[in-house]
Amino acid sequence: MNEKLRHYIDDLFANAPSTVRAVELKEELYQNLTDKYNDLIAEGKNEESAFNIAIASIGDVDSLISGLTGEKQAASEAGKKRSALITAIAIALYILCPVPVILIQNEMGVMALFLFVAVATALLIYDGVTRERYVKADDTMVEEFKEWKQNHKQKNKATEAIVGSFWLIAVCVYIVVSFMTGAWHITWIIFLIAAAISSLIKGLFMLKQ
Amino acid sequence: MSVASELIRGNTETIILAQLMKGDGYGYMVNKAILNLTGGRFELKEATLYTAFRRLEDAGCIVSYWGDETTGARRRYYSITDLGKESYRLRKKEWETAEAVIDKLLAEGEKGGSK
Repeated sequence: MNEKLRHYIDDLFANAPSTVRAVELKEELYQNLTDKYNDLIAEGKNEESAFNIAIASIGDVDSLISGLTGEKQAASEAGKKRSALITAIAIALYILCPVPVILIQNEMGVMALFLFVAVATALLIYDGVTRERYVKADDTMVEEFKEWKQNHKQKNKATEAIVGSFWLIAVCVYIVVSFMTGAWHITWIIFLIAAAISSLIKGLFMLKQ
Repeated sequence: MSVASELIRGNTETIILAQLMKGDGYGYMVNKAILNLTGGRFELKEATLYTAFRRLEDAGCIVSYWGDETTGARRRYYSITDLGKESYRLRKKEWETAEAVIDKLLAEGEKGGSK
């Protein structure tokens, strides 16, 4: 008979989202109805009427189930779109950054290049920092791990974005300086300096965390 | 729905808090206590009960944890917080105020009848 109750509740939750909260609600409901059913049997009710009384006491769970997650999913959908837009603009800026150098061909062009790169990097960092964090649904280990993983990934992304754009800038500086001075035999030292600065930035990040 | 059950429904959360003031409990336990106290006349629907539990939990009035029953399935227990106790006292006071006001207003009818 408990199988019948289990089937009934499975049907009720057929359209529920598969979140921890929904699964727990289902388990809780099943447990309570089983208790109630057993009590009714103990009072001398037959199986059929005990089942019917238990079912009748459920009430309107549909609104309860739909209220569980609907809002949250809609919000993160909008967040994803915004994030995609920001990333697309940033990448477009990276691709277009040599254009002013080619067009203007003096210091102003180089300045414009740096400006492009700076804006693109700022956009990526802004997106990484403001993105929604995974908020754990409860205190289970699985949820804790998901939250930790998500936060860890975000930190890595921010660092990657900074280091990546930094190397791009280093290459630009190397080319521009070399062309302007013609001192190719010595300008490679810029890369050594860049490597040192890059390590310094990473170190500072680690210290902050 | 009768006026009486509507009035009771309006106080669902306070009734649950009152039950949890006595100690931790799970859904069916709370509902059974309500059924017994009202002489079998009143009982919360499961949906109403869980909606109230979730709302109280979100508001920080109660916290829940899964019991560690050795026999049978696990139950979800609810425990009242300090905020919940404060909320219970506040709600009870508000109910008493409302009760006094309604008593006074409804008593007017009796006066008219005796003239």
